[in-house]
Amino acid sequence: MGYVAVTAGEEIIERAADLFEKQRLAGDSEGLDVDQLDDQLGRLTAQAMSEGGLYAPRLAALAVKQAQGDTVEAAFLLRAYRSTLERFDETPAVDPGEMIATRRVSPAFKDVPGGQILGATKDYTQRLLDFDLVDGETADPTEEWEVADEGDPERLTTVTELLRSEGLLHEPDEPDVDDPTDTTRESVTHPPDRDAVLQELARGETGAVTALGYSALRGYGQVHPTLAEVRVGRLPVRIEHPYTGDEVTVTHADVTESEAVVPVYEKREDPQFAFGYGLTFGRNERKAIGMTILDASIQLDSDDEPAENAEFVLDTIDGMDSFGFIEHLKLPHYVTFQSILDRIRAIRERKGTAGKGHDDLADEESAERAPVAEANDDG
Amino acid sequence: MAKETTSQHRDESTGGGTPVPTDSVDAALSAVETDGLSGYNYAYLDEHTKREVRRSMLKAVAIPGHQVPYASRPMPLARGWGTGGIQASLSLLGPADTLKVIDQGADESVNAANIRRLAENTAEVATTTDTTKADLIQSRHRIPEEVLTDDQRLVLQVPITDALRKVDPSDAANRRRHAHKNYGKMWVHLYENVVEYGEINIASRYPTMVANRYLMDPSPIPRWDVPKLDDANHLTILAAGREARIYAVPPHTSVEPLAFEDRSFTVERFPEQACHACGSTDTYLVEVSEEPGTTAGDDDTAASFETRYACNDSSFCAKRRENPNLPKDHHLDRSGVDWGPATPDGGENA
Repeated sequence: MGYVAVTAGEEIIERAADLFEKQRLAGDSEGLDVDQLDDQLGRLTAQAMSEGGLYAPRLAALAVKQAQGDTVEAAFLLRAYRSTLERFDETPAVDPGEMIATRRVSPAFKDVPGGQILGATKDYTQRLLDFDLVDGETADPTEEWEVADEGDPERLTTVTELLRSEGLLHEPDEPDVDDPTDTTRESVTHPPDRDAVLQELARGETGAVTALGYSALRGYGQVHPTLAEVRVGRLPVRIEHPYTGDEVTVTHADVTESEAVVPVYEKREDPQFAFGYGLTFGRNERKAIGMTILDASIQLDSDDEPAENAEFVLDTIDGMDSFGFIEHLKLPHYVTFQSILDRIRAIRERKGTAGKGHDDLADEESAERAPVAEANDDG
Repeated sequence: MAKETTSQHRDESTGGGTPVPTDSVDAALSAVETDGLSGYNYAYLDEHTKREVRRSMLKAVAIPGHQVPYASRPMPLARGWGTGGIQASLSLLGPADTLKVIDQGADESVNAANIRRLAENTAEVATTTDTTKADLIQSRHRIPEEVLTDDQRLVLQVPITDALRKVDPSDAANRRRHAHKNYGKMWVHLYENVVEYGEINIASRYPTMVANRYLMDPSPIPRWDVPKLDDANHLTILAAGREARIYAVPPHTSVEPLAFEDRSFTVERFPEQACHACGSTDTYLVEVSEEPGTTAGDDDTAASFETRYACNDSSFCAKRRENPNLPKDHHLDRSGVDWGPATPDGGENA
């Protein structure tokens, strides 16, 4: 009887969920614990946090475990949970220049103040499967390193700060309002403000951000940016102390930040670079750079290319929206399908093709080969 | 109690941020540790959110057919699976209400069961499958066969909020068209339909004019159900979660499907068909392909499948099986109430 169960709807739902749970437990291996996921699959939990719009590594690890590794489903669990929580406070905006960077590369300049910091990356290695990982863990390769304590890290001047001081970079207009838009509390209407665009991009599905960003590079757009820098590090989360009113740091969040300049001159008389910005929770350089391209593209505000059309990008970028609507096609559509059947049958009757199967029509067509346009004249 | 506290604090708020009672920190923390839904607020959503949804509904009622943006919250259901409908329902429901949830005409559909369970677990409402006993009906793509009354509210789940999306994907452009009541592009689309196919080939989601002002997507209800919205006794709320819009058809509002003088609006036809279970000929039927019984010959191919018709409204079909002559307005004081197409006694006595 399929998925319209006659009486046992509830029980069937529960059993289907139980079977799903069993898939995770069916193998002989030890169960994954949440700490393992948090420690060892940081990219996965970062993606769930970034798309879920909630910085909570352990909850993200739990969501990834529960979703059996499906990042969009994990992000969805986080968003649904987040929406039930009261908001206690808002944090003052933090200056990304304060970041304690563990990685910082500037493709724009060879020498930047603070230098290039390669940090932890496998970007420049050969992608070969490491079969040693099959049988347990290798020893910590950094164990023998002699690391001198050089004190607190210096503040890194951002590359865009350098360009700004020279007047090469377009200064964006001051926003009309002080408080940032929050698209989770106020639905997006078009044309959207840039802060709403950035928020939606920051919560965008990694694959969608990458694909649409790539489309602009691939030729469906004008933006081929030069990355000013890509940085990975920690930013402080501050709140105003409820009694003293002083700003206090309550925790830190790992983020990836990307800034790019685009040789599109905003004004003819005073040529300046346009720029794009990207920021994601956790380590996700691909998404941060994709977001940067999309931010820069959207500022061109054109209907010519998909990535330059804010409406197109924001309508398609959200993983919760696209996942939900694409998968809803699995729901019953008996009513609407019956309605469609009625239309196609009525039109076939009108055209005199009703009741004829494929073979009958094929015979007729080979005999006559009526051009399509002529067949339409019946109407 | 919680409701009063929060509203009080809301009134003191000075914009930007939502002050919350300090005890809610403890409540939130304990919610994390509680199993199941017991740590959640009544009817799942917090009171601010429900109030905001209700405000949007009031605005929607005040401007029939106009799409009102609201901050659709992430729900524990996937977007596109009734999240707009359930936010509307949960914002309206109180503990004394009785809820009915149907998906494509069936109370028993797994997704309807899931939505009903969420409301039951969090809003402690009674549920029913009987249309006439429900105070609030949440439905995906059907309006029940039994006449709805002015005591009842219908919440329709909406996948695509704008009828104009068919002719232009841009909401910004379509909002301008609505503002100017400029529906020329839709009329041209219908005209081109007629030129190409001889008739309008829109199956469901039929573009419909509300109160002679706004063009509305009535959600993918079949054309069969569209006339039920015209001058109805009940309030219809149409809510989209993914697209974050709410719109409404208040009671006794004119709802007119777009059509031409020489190509009138038609509903789905079921020529010479009756429900195989209850024998109804005045209800929306769907085809059921079944494997032939043992008597149905020896041919094993797909062509030998039997097509039967069955009522789509499973709750009314059950009543008709008991009482084949039960009219659609059997529960009303007066008879002869016209309710959509094929309402025989409505047609005769009206």
